[in-house]
Amino acid sequence: MKKRQMYLRMITASLMRRRSRMLVALLSIAIGATILSGLVTIYYDVPRQMGAQFRNYGANMIFTASDEEMSLDDVHQSANMIPSDDLIGMTPYRYENIRIRERPIVVAGTDMESIKLTSPYWRIQGDYPATSEQILIGANVAESFRLKVGDMLTVSYTPEGAVATDEETVLDNMIDFEITGILDTGGSEEDYVYVSLEDLETLTENKGSIDVAELSVQANSDELAGYADKINDSGLPVLAKLVKRVTASETTVLSKLQALVLLVTVVVLALTMICVATTMTAVVAERRKEIGLRKAIGASDSSIIKEFIGESMLLGGLGGIFGSVLGFIFAQQVSIHVFSSSITFQPLLIPITILVSVLVTGLSSLMPIRSATEVDPALVLKGE
Amino acid sequence: MFGRMIRGTLLRQWKKMLMIAFTIALGASLASAMLSVMLDVEDKVNQELKTYGANITVVPKSASVLNDIYEVEGGETTGAYLREDELGKIKTIFWAFNIVDYAPFVNVKGTLEDGTDVSVVGSWFNHHMELPTGEELDAGIASLRSWWEIESGEWLDEQSNENAQIAMIGTSLAQKLGVSVGDTLHIKGSASDGDFHITGIFDAGGDEDDQIFVPLNTAQALANLDGCIDSIEVSALTTPENELAIKVAQDPSSVTVSQYELWYCTAYASSICYQIQEVITDSVASPVRQVADSEGAILEKTKLLMILITILSLIGAALGICNLVTASVMERSSEIGLMKAIGAQNGAISGLVLTEIFITAIFGGVIGFFAGFGFAQIIGQTVFNSAITLKPMVIPIVSILVVLVTLAGSIPAIRMLLRLRPAEVLHGGR
Repeated sequence: MKKRQMYLRMITASLMRRRSRMLVALLSIAIGATILSGLVTIYYDVPRQMGAQFRNYGANMIFTASDEEMSLDDVHQSANMIPSDDLIGMTPYRYENIRIRERPIVVAGTDMESIKLTSPYWRIQGDYPATSEQILIGANVAESFRLKVGDMLTVSYTPEGAVATDEETVLDNMIDFEITGILDTGGSEEDYVYVSLEDLETLTENKGSIDVAELSVQANSDELAGYADKINDSGLPVLAKLVKRVTASETTVLSKLQALVLLVTVVVLALTMICVATTMTAVVAERRKEIGLRKAIGASDSSIIKEFIGESMLLGGLGGIFGSVLGFIFAQQVSIHVFSSSITFQPLLIPITILVSVLVTGLSSLMPIRSATEVDPALVLKGE
Repeated sequence: MFGRMIRGTLLRQWKKMLMIAFTIALGASLASAMLSVMLDVEDKVNQELKTYGANITVVPKSASVLNDIYEVEGGETTGAYLREDELGKIKTIFWAFNIVDYAPFVNVKGTLEDGTDVSVVGSWFNHHMELPTGEELDAGIASLRSWWEIESGEWLDEQSNENAQIAMIGTSLAQKLGVSVGDTLHIKGSASDGDFHITGIFDAGGDEDDQIFVPLNTAQALANLDGCIDSIEVSALTTPENELAIKVAQDPSSVTVSQYELWYCTAYASSICYQIQEVITDSVASPVRQVADSEGAILEKTKLLMILITILSLIGAALGICNLVTASVMERSSEIGLMKAIGAQNGAISGLVLTEIFITAIFGGVIGFFAGFGFAQIIGQTVFNSAITLKPMVIPIVSILVVLVTLAGSIPAIRMLLRLRPAEVLHGGR
């Protein structure tokens, strides 16, 4: 017991006495540990964070009707089979043919709020419709009819079964819509007009069925395929399909990005650890005189090695603790600045960081201590 | 004398100096590796994002208004086409170097022997082009549709099968018709007909699964549309759009001449579109927002992430070097005490120590720079299968960093040592 107390006192006293030198060493270990814990935290979080960025590409799964008609309830029920944490958005679309100034146009009844989630790349001049009797029109439609935001647009629909003779066209259902926005996507969406599902119901006087639903799911392609199989086996009249173009490409690019961060982490870590090791070597090497003195007054090699290693490991542990805290703060800052979301805390990383710093400092001081103990004390003390 | 003293230190204490050089080399290699990767990551990730396919589509001017509005399918009655002989011009625009790939499309209606109507698409698969600039390029959907899964057979090879009647067929259509690779389909177009040999069945996960893809010229022959194409898909490396790009794209007359020139000479999707419109008669080129905008977002995030990681590793490298330099200067207290005791002036001592450290630093820095560039190449080859280009600006940044860090590490230590009294130091006290 006494011996251990003495040992501890020797170690702490040595650290306290040589405060400035030890601070230098501690700083270097703490930096190493910060880089270790920071980069590894980022590495683990990158697939999740980047995956969220890839959802900018929009839907990666679509629902179509299998054999029977698909109702809005069926779609919601199917979407609920996907964990709500992973499901970013689901947009149902119901397509109908309508007429604007006697020209046929395709109208899509949909949910404007969820479009923002599943098609974040849509560029709107003006705003999305917020209330009923508002309409979003494609850029091509706006150009061909010379319409602009704020104009009123009359949309007419011929109910099914009505024969389009001259007398009966007056029976068309008509609604006046206010144009709130013009849509620019660079794709075929520019040829359509968009209203809310409720408005389309009023216009067609029937509930109709959903033609397509677009889903944006945050998951890798295997998980996605699993969800799709589950939905297809559920017996609902819904056929879930993956949008191959998005899922396949996402897998390719995401794996490259992850490999990039991994490799960068490995290179940075290796170099930093060597840096820490050289600093420790330098710090220990300059204490050759002290080692010589101890040997001269009769300390055994093993007790000297034990004491010095103990000292280094204590430093390593302290540095590791500082580093893991600083590393997490760094990773958190990166995550907030780059992805505007907080990072997941990896509890396991704290003991690993401390362990690695203790090991690196311990091992890197072992070599210079060994060589110092091998030297004749007289030579060292004389200053050779 | 000065030179001899320095040479003396470097030779006598070569072990210590080597260690300083080694640490500086490590720090410098870390800095140059991270900087090289960071500066090149945008280009590399941009290349990877090309797997999402075309980010610009080109259609005839009138068709862009008419197309789906009248529900005209098949493209035969719109009457507006782009000219096939102008396709090569896309590779002659200002940003030609950024055009990675492109393919023309022509849609024709075909009828099979049993009377079913099928949609036949003519395109390039791996079309070989020799450009007027002397460059050679293989363009076509083999690379533009990288997500297609070939279920059986293989990609249609148009280079070795010139003018052959071959086709690739979508998986759902193949199932419907009950055909497999090696079978022959008789397709009757509006002008002529032919027996098409099926070389591959693909799964595209979309509408294309119900289509038949054939080489461009055979599709044109089916409908007597020689030299006509419906649309062009272009895959280009672009810069994420900013305020200026959006402003010019909306109304070019709203900006000054210099802003306009800046826009024209930057690889925005909108300026590349504009330049394509200049060379293709009566065309409208528009960015595919789904691809173009998402690319921009992902590129920016990746770049920012790499910048922050680089900053962290630069700080780490800097502090590491700083530490070691301080430690190694402090170690020489007795030597400096001796110099002071025999009458050396503070300036002379500082000059001597600094010069020694700088010679070591330059040595270590140069080695470190090349080692770091090597690390960057390893990263580039492993992750992206291509070399990281050396950006000239890495050299000054790394040299300034090494100089600053060495100064910051040695000056406080030297000043501290100069304050010590020689007698104390030499006596072996503190």
